[in-house]
Amino acid sequence: MSDPHEPIIRFDHASFGFPGLIALKDISLDIYEGEFVGVIGPNGSGKTTLCRAVLGLLAPVEGHLHIFDCACDELRCHHRAKIGYLPQKGVVDRNFPVTVLETVMMGRYGALGLFKRPGRKDHDIALEALAQVGMDSHKDNALGHLSGGQQQRVFIARALAQQPKVLILDEPTTGLDITTQHNVIELVQHLHDELKLTVLLITHDINMIRSRVDRLVLLKTRLFAAAPPAEVLKPEILHQVYGKDLVITEKDLVIVEDYHHHH
Amino acid sequence: MLDLLAYDFMQRSLLAAAMVGGLCSVIGVFVVLRGLAFVGAGTSHAAFAGVALGYLMEWPPLLLAIVFGLATVWITGWVEERGRMKLDVSIGILYTTTMALGILFIGLMKSYNAEVYGYLFGSVLSVTPEELQIIGALSVLVLGLLLLFAKELYFIAFDQEMAEASGVPARQIFFLLLTLVALTVVVSLKTVGAILVFAMILIPASTAYQLTHSLAALTLYSAAIGILTAVAGVLISALWDVPSGPAIVLLATTLFFISVFFSPKRVRRTRLVHSH
Repeated sequence: MSDPHEPIIRFDHASFGFPGLIALKDISLDIYEGEFVGVIGPNGSGKTTLCRAVLGLLAPVEGHLHIFDCACDELRCHHRAKIGYLPQKGVVDRNFPVTVLETVMMGRYGALGLFKRPGRKDHDIALEALAQVGMDSHKDNALGHLSGGQQQRVFIARALAQQPKVLILDEPTTGLDITTQHNVIELVQHLHDELKLTVLLITHDINMIRSRVDRLVLLKTRLFAAAPPAEVLKPEILHQVYGKDLVITEKDLVIVEDYHHHH
Repeated sequence: MLDLLAYDFMQRSLLAAAMVGGLCSVIGVFVVLRGLAFVGAGTSHAAFAGVALGYLMEWPPLLLAIVFGLATVWITGWVEERGRMKLDVSIGILYTTTMALGILFIGLMKSYNAEVYGYLFGSVLSVTPEELQIIGALSVLVLGLLLLFAKELYFIAFDQEMAEASGVPARQIFFLLLTLVALTVVVSLKTVGAILVFAMILIPASTAYQLTHSLAALTLYSAAIGILTAVAGVLISALWDVPSGPAIVLLATTLFFISVFFSPKRVRRTRLVHSH
């Protein structure tokens, strides 16, 4: 176990993007082991860039980013394997001819390394990951035959099969019906609690995650806040990022003002 | 037909066809899944330009085919990685440029050379023992590498960025795949020809794609279809005296349409429509 006071992810005045097109500017942020962090911000605010940075797919153009104990641009394969990732929906071809179990087994490949074939142990880890998301009875089904919510569960299982320390989910509820959205977020919370995972959850749905996360990170190219939800969900803070139409109701729901007036 | 099998040339042809059919159909699985179908077509024409230059300059044609094939796939891969240009545009430009070079090289030759056309249309019945050895060696090399890196190749075909994010050296594996595609094309040039090798890569894998939802089964079905159609095509070619390349490809295409018709995926879709 690492020192709980040492961050496992540290952004130190880090900027990402290309010269002339900066997606994230001057980010300083520490994320600690076991935290449940929600990342919010409008479209194009750099949320996915933040994910890709933590995955080691992007090196900072200025500043530094440390993940575990190494710099992001030195992130070795075995470090990457410790970060489970659920990409945004639509990135993956969902009609790919692959079974549920084959999909989850792919989560083992990075950790296994080259030249090694998955064995019984990897098979068991994959089955356990499927059980953790409640999809073990579907292991031989075609991925393309599952519903959107079930596919999300399988992709979460693939991330879990990496036996990660950090789980990153990029808008996991997009395109799902409201009950399924709720179930997916419940599952993420359950995994965070049970497996003591550090979770970074990107979402547009502030109301769905506000009672569950330890901290909210508010982005719009720059970092506007990184604090417990009660401190972030204040009009004076949200207005800087979302504009003045956003209001917070008596029941602490964040909504757009126009909608509030009509109803 | 049994008399035919007694001839050395026939045994060599069948062996060459089986190896090329197996090799093309296995790499075809990754080509189809990773969306590189057009790269296969581009590479075969580039490799043919290499062959033509080889005959023009009296250099080893297969060696130049490898150089031209590899240059094409690596440039294509590099352009795709940079995201500068859409893959179909860059390969389309390379495809036609190398074909123009091929025609130019043939035009510069002082005399008509039937062997060059053998590489364009394929002539499996005239495979020599030396060519069979080269085909065998390259087949073992390519299939060995495919087997060694199978799990990484499946992963990048499914989702390259996800593979990279979870610790697979995805870029290197992608370039390995491109390299193996180029080598496969060169191995197959003499047997099925530059124009039809693309079909051997594409059709068995696409046929298998209709029949299964499992990656492992997909690869096995594709290999079986590739080997069977190649061997059967050569037999048809010898028995009925028709060119071997078209016999193989048309047989594979027939199987493809049958598989589309009987595909479990199609049946399922039809049922869904009826149930609504």
